[in-house]
Amino acid sequence: MEAAELWVGFVGAGRMAGGLVRGLLQAGKVPASNVLASAPSDKNLDAWRELGCRTTHCNLEVVHRSTLVFLATKPHVLPGVLEEIRPAVGSHHIVVSLVAGVTIQTLQRLLPPWTKVLRIMPNLPCVVQAGAMVFSRGTNAGDEEAALLQSLLSSCGLCEEVPESYIDIHTGLSGSGVAYVYLFAEALAEGAVKMGMPGALASRIAAQTLLGAAKMLLETGEHPAKLRGDVCTPGGTTIYALHQLEKGALRATVMDAVEAATNRACDMAKD
Amino acid sequence: MSVGFIGAGQLAFALARGFTAAGVLAAHKITASSPDTDLPTVSGLRKMGVNFTVSNKDTVKSSDVLFLAVKPPIIPFILEEVGPDIEARHIVVSCAAGVTISSIEKKLSTFCPTPKVIRCMTNTPVIVREGATVYATGTHADVEDGKLLEQLMASVGFCTEVEEDLIDAVTGLSGSGPAYAFTALDALADGGVKMGLPRRLAVRLGAQALLGAAKMLLESEQHPGQLKDNVCSPGGATIHALHFLESGGFRSLLINAVEASCIRTRELQHLADQEKISPAAIKKTLLDKVKLESPSLSVASASKVSLFTSKSKKN
Repeated sequence: MEAAELWVGFVGAGRMAGGLVRGLLQAGKVPASNVLASAPSDKNLDAWRELGCRTTHCNLEVVHRSTLVFLATKPHVLPGVLEEIRPAVGSHHIVVSLVAGVTIQTLQRLLPPWTKVLRIMPNLPCVVQAGAMVFSRGTNAGDEEAALLQSLLSSCGLCEEVPESYIDIHTGLSGSGVAYVYLFAEALAEGAVKMGMPGALASRIAAQTLLGAAKMLLETGEHPAKLRGDVCTPGGTTIYALHQLEKGALRATVMDAVEAATNRACDMAKD
Repeated sequence: MSVGFIGAGQLAFALARGFTAAGVLAAHKITASSPDTDLPTVSGLRKMGVNFTVSNKDTVKSSDVLFLAVKPPIIPFILEEVGPDIEARHIVVSCAAGVTISSIEKKLSTFCPTPKVIRCMTNTPVIVREGATVYATGTHADVEDGKLLEQLMASVGFCTEVEEDLIDAVTGLSGSGPAYAFTALDALADGGVKMGLPRRLAVRLGAQALLGAAKMLLESEQHPGQLKDNVCSPGGATIHALHFLESGGFRSLLINAVEASCIRTRELQHLADQEKISPAAIKKTLLDKVKLESPSLSVASASKVSLFTSKSKKN
């Protein structure tokens, strides 16, 4: 199916959905006029209209008028929404759920048995086309559907198919991981402020430092330990600073964070 | 070539054992001296066939390469004692942590105008010919003198020349390093025993694991971080274990250790530079150190402590 002829719908129009659609539109994957989003109130929908998308308050309308349907509601709302749209879901639909903690098994249970279901876990930087997304396919989703999703969403960043068991780990690593990076950036800047640099400048430099380091990691393909070593001149400033980080057991703390978020994702999925 | 050791302790023993095992030197070409004949290493040296004497002067006379293998605070007194017998032909090699080339040259220059001095930092695994040695040459030591020492030390492990200002760091890393490894191995064995292994087997396996890992690293182009990753299968046993190590600040502990050893070495350098300490004071320093370090005395009753101090006063 040609992406240009694709009719894309979003049930739920919150931050995550907004991020994805921005990525899709920026990359020219889908014309805005082919996008229809539904939400209970106008609060979020104004932003979509400004992008040129169509909006509605009717979830069924989204399903009727779209082939690719993204489910982007809050978890507790989803079962009700699925019951509502179930009658309208056909074998031509591709249903992609962004809903945290809702398994493919649950989705398939609440939708007609012929439905092509995929589950995706994006992260916030999809908004600036630098996201990290993983997706898994349900029983009826085949190579064609997976390829379509991959091709559409690589406009928003890194997009990889994975076994469903990795999705909670991805939450801990990258979904929540973005927040860890913000925390680190804030702390870096604060250190600089303590040493006498104005806050705004410190924040910009902190962000650029993270961006630059990440870019080098991605582009050189070198092991992070090697890149770290490359920065450490003997007896220099960097190794002194790294020692402080090791004293604070930063590595273990970060591992703990990823573990906690992953476990929480698993627990929430069970609810 | 004949080699002499002033001092007949752990270092002299380890080097003598290493050289003879490597076949670079016959035991009878080695002389070692010490006033203390009760040292356990003395009988070991004798058994090796090394010439043992209580006269440091005899050692100097019968050696071309002279190792100063005594504790750093003792160095100034040794140099005073044997200085007159040092000739231009001698290569004086100091293995004492924190003792600078310039302090040795200064001491010897009153006796010999151009003493050949090399400063060296090695470690105990020279005994099994897997030592780690660095050396720095002094003002009057030629390139050939350095190469001669390098040949000797390379027969018992890795040896390379460095700038003298790096030697304290080397002390912290590879000088003390075997002790860190022994501590780790002891603990690893405990872990094995806790999980059901017999002690002997646990020690054997732990040592082999470290030996193997070190060998892999030395023979690989890869970063240790990458080698570590290669062992960690996702969600597996190793990564769980590593998390514990990180939580305990394992890495920072090791960095702290190397730093502490290096800093202490520099402190020792200052001690050695204070040439005005009398032999009696040295004895007192050692006794005081013993008092500070002995755990039984730290919780000693008042009577025990007073007993000890009265004993030292008698000396």
